[in-house]
Amino acid sequence: MRFTALDDATVVQRLRSAGIRICGMTGMSEFGLGLTGSSAGRVVETKHADVELVLDLMGESRVAAVRVGACGFKPSYGLVSRYGVIGLIPSMEAVGLLARQPRSIRTVLGCVAGADERDFSMPEEPVPGFDEEWTVPAGTRVGVIREACSGLTPEQLTGFQQGIEELRAAGCAVSEVSLPDYPLFSLVHKIVGSVEAASSTGRYDSVRYGPRAPGAKNWNEMYLGSRGAMFGTLVKSYLFQGAYFQFENYAAYEDACRIRARLLGQTQRLMQEADYLVLPCPPRGGAEEKSALEAVYAAFAETLWANVTGQPVLALPLPGSAGAVGGIQLMGPRLSDARLLALGEMVLDRRKGDR
Amino acid sequence: MEFEPVIGLEIHIELNCATKLFCDCPNNPGDEANANTCPTCLWFPGAAPRLSEQALEKAALLCLGLGAELQPRSAFDQKVYYYPDLPKGFQLSQAHLPLSRGGGIEILDEDGEPRRFRIHHIHMEEDVAKLVHEMDGRLPVSLVDFNRAGAPLVEIVTEPDFRSAHQAMEFLKVLRTQVRYVGASECSMETGTMRVDANISIRPKGTDQMNTKVEVKNMNSIRHVGDAIAYEIERQSAAVGADEAVVLHTRLWDPDKRVTVSMRGKFEGPCVPDPSVPVIELSPEWIEGIRARLPEMPAVRAERLTREHGLSADEAGMLSTDPEVAGYFEALMGAGVAAKPGLHWLTTQLLPAVKERQQELGETPVTPLRFAELLQLLAKDSINANTAREVLGEMFESAAGAAEIVAARGYAQISDRAELERVVAEVVAAQPGAVADFRSGQGKALGFLIGQVMQASGGKANPKVVRELLVGLLG
Ligand SMILES: [Zn+2]
Repeated sequence: MRFTALDDATVVQRLRSAGIRICGMTGMSEFGLGLTGSSAGRVVETKHADVELVLDLMGESRVAAVRVGACGFKPSYGLVSRYGVIGLIPSMEAVGLLARQPRSIRTVLGCVAGADERDFSMPEEPVPGFDEEWTVPAGTRVGVIREACSGLTPEQLTGFQQGIEELRAAGCAVSEVSLPDYPLFSLVHKIVGSVEAASSTGRYDSVRYGPRAPGAKNWNEMYLGSRGAMFGTLVKSYLFQGAYFQFENYAAYEDACRIRARLLGQTQRLMQEADYLVLPCPPRGGAEEKSALEAVYAAFAETLWANVTGQPVLALPLPGSAGAVGGIQLMGPRLSDARLLALGEMVLDRRKGDR
Repeated sequence: MEFEPVIGLEIHIELNCATKLFCDCPNNPGDEANANTCPTCLWFPGAAPRLSEQALEKAALLCLGLGAELQPRSAFDQKVYYYPDLPKGFQLSQAHLPLSRGGGIEILDEDGEPRRFRIHHIHMEEDVAKLVHEMDGRLPVSLVDFNRAGAPLVEIVTEPDFRSAHQAMEFLKVLRTQVRYVGASECSMETGTMRVDANISIRPKGTDQMNTKVEVKNMNSIRHVGDAIAYEIERQSAAVGADEAVVLHTRLWDPDKRVTVSMRGKFEGPCVPDPSVPVIELSPEWIEGIRARLPEMPAVRAERLTREHGLSADEAGMLSTDPEVAGYFEALMGAGVAAKPGLHWLTTQLLPAVKERQQELGETPVTPLRFAELLQLLAKDSINANTAREVLGEMFESAAGAAEIVAARGYAQISDRAELERVVAEVVAAQPGAVADFRSGQGKALGFLIGQVMQASGGKANPKVVRELLVGLLG
């Protein structure tokens, strides 16, 4: 984009001042949307880095992690500053973390989390104690979402059931819970996300920065030319979709906002039946997604929930071939980030002990 | 068929805050182009808006000053449209949940009857950048100055209550006074800190139908607003009379030709809730805190000035339109000056003198205490009115008190009868013609004789005593 940032993002600044060495940059997909062209997960897999930061708009940090047999984490919405993050979907995106061990995620998250005077959208909330020793109480209730397994291959389903057995073996009380509205997460994410994306990218108009298309006769031509040359196919179709809801079908957008509020309420009710909710995390979202919007949404179907409701969610790799089996997602209530990571640590520690 | 107009106003007011609405850049649009910009108001990638506390407070004060009800929950929306003066493809405005609802202003309508005009709501929004179109040789270029982008505005949307240009103009005058009172803005249409759009439709008189409206913009004085409304009423009435349909569109007032002209329809985009600026939640305590800062509003002050100082309703009303002038007057009263001469000297002498010297009343060296000293010399007949005017002029140049100046210059008025009798006798002896005129009943000869005595006394004679002496001697 021929644009040099004037300042470090808050997360980068906090990593530096905590003495953490920044050893490189992850190549992301355009605006971080989906995983096409993304190298997320590679340096953790090859042990060139302990932790990677990956923007999580629809599950990218989690899916990229389980594809390489690592852990991916999306923090509670508003826990990590978005100042300096080139975002696309402000109400859903979060800086995700990717590492071989949940412990590394917890350490780094402890450095970057917490109120930032430069990100005014962050609520004033106490930061979970990342330094504390968290123990997982016996009988911790986990609820497996019945509706979330329909899109899995037999191999992925077997792997997911093994993951649930691990939780049971670790002393968790496993039950099955149901959310009949589950398919609506995808719809709500697509409508609200695309509308926000259309607004967020309005600033790329080539008036103040960025390449400007030559030869335009007026500002309208300049916009069309510059933006047409700048954005890739997937982002274009996403923005086109968002503009459709903004200009042509605003009622559908309002419906989506109402449904989102309803889904938030239903999630909160489920969080009273169980301490954590459990979903699969299939290893998709790679080459097969190409640039078709529908294909991208299908690839991330299981990971959209936490982005829609803003909850913290940890994806753990399952035993077996990472590329085929994928992982399991543990989702906690808002600001349960620290104990959620502790639960993940316990599960992986036990697995290591078994071998 | 007789028609009546239905008029609603949309008034944009630029708040006089130190900074812009969502960043710390100085709110000085007139500075060197693009001097007051930062990553936030230029909307660089990764920038985050922070709502200015001062802007929220001033906007809330303005709402309360207009009798509006602050909403416990308000929020910003994105008004989506693409134009180079808008650095991010949308304008942050409060479309769905405005800062306040209700409120209104009472004015005197054409018949002199008090009448209240309602405000529908007041919301906050950010201003856009300024476009400058120039020629670079033969190539037209458009330049963008972002100094104004993000400047804090409020928009006051009235109910369509107005039935005449007069009512709209009176409303705007009172509105301007009230906003100046709370100190939220200078409200100058000439410099653009107040901008007024009028929505005008017409309907058969006596019906309550709402017909297609036309929006009129580009008026840069309250008088132009009145002229544009009057023109538009005529135009629409003629069109309807000729069976032409009125279509929804925007027209610009052309102040030179004194007509409204159609402008190309502006694309109206949707309003989407903004996910980045937190919802504004105002607690009852916070609102009460702002209410406590509300000054006495003009109507209340006028009523009090009438009661406390015996001014007429007109005098008090006129005095109260400007908080500075009213404050100065009250300071004079506090220093013991009598109300009527105080008001008279303030409005006919001091204000023109201050204006002539291009000073502000609040900063002029002739403070209320110094001016009061002068007026008291006058009240005690120590000096006459001419001398007082002269001393006032000197008080702008020197720090000396009025009494000091009078003493130093020997300006003190001569009221001593024995001394004046001598001068009067001299003048009477020297002006037999005028004396004869006076005796034959020509009244203006007396004025001439008084003038001669004043001149002979070096301007220091007490004219009242001189008149008495002359009348006594000749009559
Ligand atoms: Zn700024």
